Amino acid sequence: MTVFADATKAKGEPIIELEGVDKFFGSFQALKDINMKVGRQEVVVVIGPSGSGKSTLIRCINRLEKHDRGRIVVDGVELSDDVKNIQEIRREVGMVFQQFNLFPHLTVLDNITLAPREVRRMPRKEAEELAMRMLERVKIPEQAHKYPGQLSGGQQQRVAIARALAMQPKVMLFDEPTSALDPEMIKEVLDVMVELAESGMTMIVVTHEMGFARAVADRVVFMADGQIVEVGTPEHFFTDPQEERTKLFLSQIL
Amino acid sequence: MAELTETRSIPVAVRLRPVEWARRHLFGTWYDAALTVVFGGLFVYGAVWLIGFLIRSDFEILRVNLALFMVGAYPRAELWRPAAATVIVAALIGYVAGSASAAAQARAEEAGLPFHRARPKEVVARFWPVLAFIGVVLLLTSTPTPWLVVVSALIAGVVGYLAGRGQPAPVRRFAWVWSVGLVVVAYLVLTGSGIGWDRWGGFHLNLFLTVAGIGLAFPFGLILALGRRSSLPAVRAVSITYIEFIRGVPLITLLLMGIFALGFFLPQQLRPGDVTRVLVAIVLFEAAYVAEVVRGGLQAVPRGQVEAAQALGLSPWKTTRLIVLPQALRATIPAMVGQFISLFKDTTLVVVVGLIDILGASQAANSQPEFLAQGLHEVTLPFVGLAFWVGSYTMSREARRLEKRLGVGER
Repeated sequence: MTVFADATKAKGEPIIELEGVDKFFGSFQALKDINMKVGRQEVVVVIGPSGSGKSTLIRCINRLEKHDRGRIVVDGVELSDDVKNIQEIRREVGMVFQQFNLFPHLTVLDNITLAPREVRRMPRKEAEELAMRMLERVKIPEQAHKYPGQLSGGQQQRVAIARALAMQPKVMLFDEPTSALDPEMIKEVLDVMVELAESGMTMIVVTHEMGFARAVADRVVFMADGQIVEVGTPEHFFTDPQEERTKLFLSQIL
Repeated sequence: MAELTETRSIPVAVRLRPVEWARRHLFGTWYDAALTVVFGGLFVYGAVWLIGFLIRSDFEILRVNLALFMVGAYPRAELWRPAAATVIVAALIGYVAGSASAAAQARAEEAGLPFHRARPKEVVARFWPVLAFIGVVLLLTSTPTPWLVVVSALIAGVVGYLAGRGQPAPVRRFAWVWSVGLVVVAYLVLTGSGIGWDRWGGFHLNLFLTVAGIGLAFPFGLILALGRRSSLPAVRAVSITYIEFIRGVPLITLLLMGIFALGFFLPQQLRPGDVTRVLVAIVLFEAAYVAEVVRGGLQAVPRGQVEAAQALGLSPWKTTRLIVLPQALRATIPAMVGQFISLFKDTTLVVVVGLIDILGASQAANSQPEFLAQGLHEVTLPFVGLAFWVGSYTMSREARRLEKRLGVGER
């Protein structure tokens, strides 16, 4: 069974296309024949049980994992082994991790200015102004000169979002951005993500936050065992799921 | 509430009278008392013995041979050269410290953070072992020259510091250029009128081998460590082979090979002098150990750090240089300093190949006709030991300081 997750509600032409993507870890197949398109300014939420390949899917898009078969095209550039291609795509694709992965030896400001300065060759002053704008966007400009270790989990994740945004990416990938957070901090991060979605950012979000999916997603993609099982609008998804796997999953988490 | 806080703070504020303190802490129970008596007795015995030793002993052997201990066989007519070099190095140290302080202040001000400028008292507290050793050396001098050197060096250090602090920011940006310049000047002064470093000796030689050994072995070891983790099989194989081969061979063997075998591989005109050969052996040896220390640090950097850097579009080289190495090296400070301290002490092994370092100097002094019969090792060896202890202890303290300072951003 092949589900073609087309950009049914895409607000523009597709910016990310996956065609027949397979991914193996040794003999274990983590992704099976993934077909998916994401339109510009679209917000796609990927859900599914753990081990279903959600994280692997988005990690293939910026080449943190190498796919074994199929095609991945990001903003007209096809991912290949060519290092230049990979770098080009990574510049346009921001990523936020479950464990934040801020650089502990750099201040918040340096964490954010690092990539614009080193990759985009932006002068320090300009990069710092940009960083401050991004910190204001995630509502913690007063933390600029602290080190990540001095911040709460929610603040760290917001810095991580600011760091990714400072590269002015066309697409943002979120890999379970709230799963490592204490409950009281989840909202502050989700609020930032909601605002980001409303500002028109193209986003692919792997999450277990169904409230976020319901409120923000243009499309919800349900994955299990490395396959896309069902795709639809949140409305369709939470009120009228078609597949048995989807129903089972939703009954377990809702 | 206020009352409660006050009550709580009382135990901290209590100051017992000495007798009361001793009764409580030293003679609280019968076994406390027994320990106090035993160790107190040992301490008093040791102190009495030390004072007796200092009074009884004749330090003439150190007085007469001070230059031998400090600079070995350096031509006596040219002794002003190491003296001048010492003063230049003091100026260099002062300048580097001053520049670093000014740079730190500029950074702190830019970030709007408080800046603490080191006070002279703190500097003395930091380096008291070094100052004490200089004091001991001065006590042993029979001529005014060492005093002149020490005083000039102190003045040069202070002047260098003030220059480092006071220089305008655009000049400071090239601080490393001026520093390298001073090193070159010191080197030229030392090697002027045809005195190659192969005639260096004494404690000066130990210090030179340590500083040059660290300076050369560190980058070499870093490359080896990165090579060992390279994705290119050939690079990895070469690195592993080198590291495992060198680590399986004793340093003395390498020193002997440096002296007796290195020459065979090179044409007559290119054969280096003994100190160069020894330095090559030490660097080859240390690099393998530095590589293993760095490898430990590299392994301590979480995978997510590399992924985050990659996701931002940083190239592999920039990821290593800006993200991985700074974190890896911080994690290795304790092991690295341990390695450098043992290198410092291992420099005495050059005695085996006939170089006169400070330990060789003590042996040489003891075989001089006027001291031969007296068996004064009990005077010379503690002096040598003191010199190494001062260096090792200072390194270890400075490393702890650095660790603490870099720990600011620790997760």
